[in-house]
Amino acid sequence: MEEANTLQEGSQGGNSSWESECCLSAILDLGELLLMHGAEVCRVEDTVTRLCAAYGFVRSDVFSITSSIIVTAFRADGSGLTQTRRIKERGTDLGKVAQINALSRKICAEPLPVQELNREIACLRERKKALSVLEPWMYLLISASLSIFFGGNWQDGLAAALSGLVLYGMIYWSSFLKLNSIVQNMICCAVTGVAVLLLVRLGLGVHADKIMIGNIMLVIPGIQLTNSLRDMINGDMISGLLNMCEALLKAVAVAMGFAAVVILGGAL
Amino acid sequence: MMHDLVQTFMGMVGSVCFAVLFGISDRKILWIAFGGAAGWAVYLLSRHAGYDLLMGLFFSSLFVASLSELLARVLKTPVVLLLVPMLIPEIPGGDLYYTMYYLVQRQFTEFGTASNQVLGEAGAIALGIIVASYLARAVLRSCKWLAPFVEI
Repeated sequence: MEEANTLQEGSQGGNSSWESECCLSAILDLGELLLMHGAEVCRVEDTVTRLCAAYGFVRSDVFSITSSIIVTAFRADGSGLTQTRRIKERGTDLGKVAQINALSRKICAEPLPVQELNREIACLRERKKALSVLEPWMYLLISASLSIFFGGNWQDGLAAALSGLVLYGMIYWSSFLKLNSIVQNMICCAVTGVAVLLLVRLGLGVHADKIMIGNIMLVIPGIQLTNSLRDMINGDMISGLLNMCEALLKAVAVAMGFAAVVILGGAL
Repeated sequence: MMHDLVQTFMGMVGSVCFAVLFGISDRKILWIAFGGAAGWAVYLLSRHAGYDLLMGLFFSSLFVASLSELLARVLKTPVVLLLVPMLIPEIPGGDLYYTMYYLVQRQFTEFGTASNQVLGEAGAIALGIIVASYLARAVLRSCKWLAPFVEI
């Protein structure tokens, strides 16, 4: 009941429609942040629906796919509002997803005033990914450990660590170019493949295939595939198919990038 | 045996590093380390018990997905956050590479075998996730006192 009052107070002030617009916009900001940082579509729809209910909208219809959110919410007096968001950039920061999730739990228990919510959202937007300084080291460790995992020896692990760094450098550098991400993946993988072949020629690694597998694991869109499955289980066929298409295209791009090198480099 | 231990350890390192790469930085990492290693151990154990590759992958992804559905509700955190890093060791990156390799080398018989294998492995892992997700919901919805834990 308290949450309904926040909106009614607004209506006494005479600018209720404006207040509701601001409120819905803040809710959509949260949904947008979730979608941008790697949450599944059903979580976004669920969160937006719950937040709308918490802020006193009597009915809300949310439709979201991986690149857009549309919501129409009705206030108690029967007037409806519609807002949409288009999501262009997407990345993975599950730590932020967890923080947004915690914030929305807090709001559902006890709604914050809209200004405060906006401040929280600005804060979340600003926040850098946790431990992002460690990223190059993680690339190094992941490719080394997974190359040994898939049957390489210690030398292969070392070579994979170095080529993992090359891959990180390529991804970091090409993120400034803002190319199509699929082409970008392909180029990064091709350069990494060349580095692997060079390392093997230099005698550092033994099995070029195990080293490349270690690197491939870094760029396989695992989170997207998992999300697409979870979306389809929840009945979100459109988002599931969109996500799966994108993930498959990315996987093919990765394979093509390495394949180009294997063709050019001849027998491994 | 030694090889299995090294492989499990490396899988665990991979899981933890991916968790860090995905921006997870608190004590959930410990659970992810445990889940990643235990998931691969389940695979190795079921292989030793005589099940084939696909059944092994199914069991291990079922185990990992159930563990993350359970932990997500205990730690009050989204399921994907635990599931994705924990599943890293099961991802068939090796067979994906060989599929691509055989295609490029025009060894089409081997390409057929390898691509079938990758699809089968992906299917087995997906089935594990799906079954765990349904099980979690079915169990939580059928017990009244568990109702507050249904939504996550």
